[in-house]
Amino acid sequence: MSHGQRHSPTAEQLAANRPLLGPRGRLLAVSALVIGAVGLAASYLLGNGQADNLRHFYFAYLVAYCFWLSIALGALFYTLIHHLLRDTSSVVVRRIAEQLAGTLPFMALLILPILIPILSGSSELYWWLDPVVRESDALIIHKSGYLNLGFFVARLAVYFAVWIALAGLFRGISLRQDATGGTAPTLQLWKYSAPAMLLFAVTTTFFAVDVIMALDAHWFSTIFGVYFFAGCMVGAYGLLVLSSVLLQAGGYLRAVITPEHYHDLGKLLFAFLFFWGYIAFSQFMLYWYGNIPEETGWYLRRFSGDWLGWSVALLFLHLLIPFPIMLSRFIKRRRKLLAVMAVWLLIAHWLDLYWLIMPEYNAAALPLSLLDLTCLVGVGGLMLGVYIWLAGGQALVPVRDPNLTESLNFENV
Amino acid sequence: MATERLEFPSTEVLNTADKPGQRPRLITGGLGLHDITRVVSRLSEAPAPPRGWWILFLASVGLLILLFAMIGYLIFTGVGVWGVNTPVSWGFAIVNFVFWVGIGHAGTLISAILFLFRQKWRTSINRFAEAMTIFAVMCAGIFPAIHVGRIWVVHWLFPLPNQMHLWPNFRSPLLWDVFAVGTYFTVSLLFWYMGMIPDLATFRDRAPGKIRRVIFGLLALGWRGSNRQWLNYEKAYLLLAGLATPLVLSVHSVVSFDFATSQLPGWHTSIFPPYFVAGAIFGGFAMVVTLAILARQVLGLRNIITLHHLENMAKVILATGMMVGYAYGMEFFTAWYSGNPTEAFTFVNRALGPYAWAYWIMIGCNVVAPQVFWFKKARNSIWLLFIVAMFVNVGMWFERFVIVVTSLSRDFLPSSWSYYMPTSVDLLTLLGSFGLFFTLFLLFLRYAPVVAMAEVKSVMEDVHPHAEEHEPLGDYWGDEPGAHTERERLLRANGGAQ
Repeated sequence: MSHGQRHSPTAEQLAANRPLLGPRGRLLAVSALVIGAVGLAASYLLGNGQADNLRHFYFAYLVAYCFWLSIALGALFYTLIHHLLRDTSSVVVRRIAEQLAGTLPFMALLILPILIPILSGSSELYWWLDPVVRESDALIIHKSGYLNLGFFVARLAVYFAVWIALAGLFRGISLRQDATGGTAPTLQLWKYSAPAMLLFAVTTTFFAVDVIMALDAHWFSTIFGVYFFAGCMVGAYGLLVLSSVLLQAGGYLRAVITPEHYHDLGKLLFAFLFFWGYIAFSQFMLYWYGNIPEETGWYLRRFSGDWLGWSVALLFLHLLIPFPIMLSRFIKRRRKLLAVMAVWLLIAHWLDLYWLIMPEYNAAALPLSLLDLTCLVGVGGLMLGVYIWLAGGQALVPVRDPNLTESLNFENV
Repeated sequence: MATERLEFPSTEVLNTADKPGQRPRLITGGLGLHDITRVVSRLSEAPAPPRGWWILFLASVGLLILLFAMIGYLIFTGVGVWGVNTPVSWGFAIVNFVFWVGIGHAGTLISAILFLFRQKWRTSINRFAEAMTIFAVMCAGIFPAIHVGRIWVVHWLFPLPNQMHLWPNFRSPLLWDVFAVGTYFTVSLLFWYMGMIPDLATFRDRAPGKIRRVIFGLLALGWRGSNRQWLNYEKAYLLLAGLATPLVLSVHSVVSFDFATSQLPGWHTSIFPPYFVAGAIFGGFAMVVTLAILARQVLGLRNIITLHHLENMAKVILATGMMVGYAYGMEFFTAWYSGNPTEAFTFVNRALGPYAWAYWIMIGCNVVAPQVFWFKKARNSIWLLFIVAMFVNVGMWFERFVIVVTSLSRDFLPSSWSYYMPTSVDLLTLLGSFGLFFTLFLLFLRYAPVVAMAEVKSVMEDVHPHAEEHEPLGDYWGDEPGAHTERERLLRANGGAQ
């Protein structure tokens, strides 16, 4: 107990004087949106210039889209698990996650640049949509009950409906509590968190199966949904840390988010980077050891030519180097150092998604180009713009959450 | 132990209400710090154990003798006394091994992972859960050893230098298992013992007789409870918790490799490692609930292992049960989605083939039964908790049976297909392994500190006597209105006896 050492505001002070982003936030949001729009336009122009039916654009866009979507999904999971575990220590950063998850309705719109071409008959992204393949490929014929255009789109609609509903519900009740206070909203959130978790698990798994795994519609892995989920969490914790640090650098929530909270966020970032490594190893080791052609083909693409370097880089940058670094208590409790690691792991997470998706576009050589950057900036600018806009409208912490006092005084013991 | 009556009410206290901004009290009935010591030490300090203990102990020893008899019969006769034969060459022995290793997961999960997650309710149950872990791993270790057939060369499992330059196959997951289980057992044992040192010192200090004082004195390693000792203790505890956490994941992952590195449909699938870990936690918690309910009813620990603890465990069982269900679902989906006819056949055969009965027992016990825990009433009902935990114990044994036997009995060569039937030796050996488990567990209940007294005290209100002068800092002490008053009332009723 460090009485008098910190001067955290009390929950009552926060409720009376709600921490808001203010006009600076609106400016930032608009700038991000403009940068995003420019990035997206540039991506389209760059992609169109390649005269490949926009094939490269679709793949590059999918990487960027999955990257930012995975962060929003991870943030949604963060909110759900917070309530499911009756977490009290991290109330001060929960609003950030709620606002990140709040971008999910907008993310549903951002899938349209790849969904509309698919609906109008393009099979550039998913070769199993090609009518010739659908009649000649025995495996695709076998899977046609699942892998067909109508069901594919219907499933995507269901996933997004579930995510939008969950994000809206958990964000909405929490925002309502800002006005009303009381314990009833918290009880509601606790109650909904368990069934919400079920819905989240099923939809996220099958999103990964449909959108990423089905890029190679012959390949399959039972762990794939868990793998994608692990990446979501690395991304979400990375952006949570980064958002908190940037907010504090801008003068917000100065004494609200303390080294104690960073320590916890850092621990969980560490836990999920380890979890990702565990899941990635489980899948790789078993497929390597089993050495069955229908399973190893997917890895073979990633272990030959230029992609081998990428695979090795992923192993080192996503697991082996950050692992010992993130063990350090010193780093986890210093927000600037932790922010560096958050950026590092966000990049690693992008490397991972690129590694999952792009070998299906070009297995022979690394297709790295400016397009990847513009897509990342394009989708990211728009998503972060919406995120900042949403965050700007409300208090930056759930000011009347009954557990806020506990969170403000939280210490790692 | 029957001589000293407990002055504090040992009825159920409903401390499971969800109250935002408030923590449920973990120790009920107005028990004070010293009462914890008294309640926990009673069984060990009584001159003779109660009759119920003797009945259970003799029954367990009987089963233990049965186990030794069966093992002796096996060694002198050969593995032909078991039901294993081509193609099902892994039968009860491997099923039992995986079952017991799985049980052994909850203890270290509770003591290490829940410690890292600051789950203070773990303090009431971690000690006997860890003991359970160690005994379960001992039971597990027997089966691979006797399964090798020629047990007199069992030391060849270990890479021992020898004149023949004969080494085990380092590329075999069976060897990894030797290392994984060995490491897990060692670390769990160290963790359990180290955590027990302050409580062993308490036993030493309270010892009524000289022999007891010497024995516990030796075991307590000179613990005096000084600040410096506590500092070292807490550091060591954190370090061991950090080391034990990846071990919890690795042991059952490596056990899953025994199956998943093969090319056999139903065994070779990428979700096996996390699925096995989730299943192990699921089965382990079910066994913890089973033992916790028995212990609290028989030993009068109702106020230390409260309904809140049981409710939390029920939630863990529900969550891990859903994870296991998720894995069953993903396996089934992928068996079809892969388009591999043998995969699809294997899973349809599980559900509809000759072992459908075992499969549906598994589904019923592991996926259907825990669903009652969606309801708070069920989580707060001792009877339902016990019944569902028993279902899960049975279901998790059958899960391993389904995995091992169904895949092997329908291999790639239909002419060699057969129906595996355990012999009476198989069944009696399984039964006997429970004898070993319960014999060790009952000895533990009689002689060791069953509850981590020092740790429980650290989450009680009394260790923070000035709580009301401070902001509610959000720990378990004194943040429920009236907690202190209730205690004072009880103290007055008992004539101020502390």
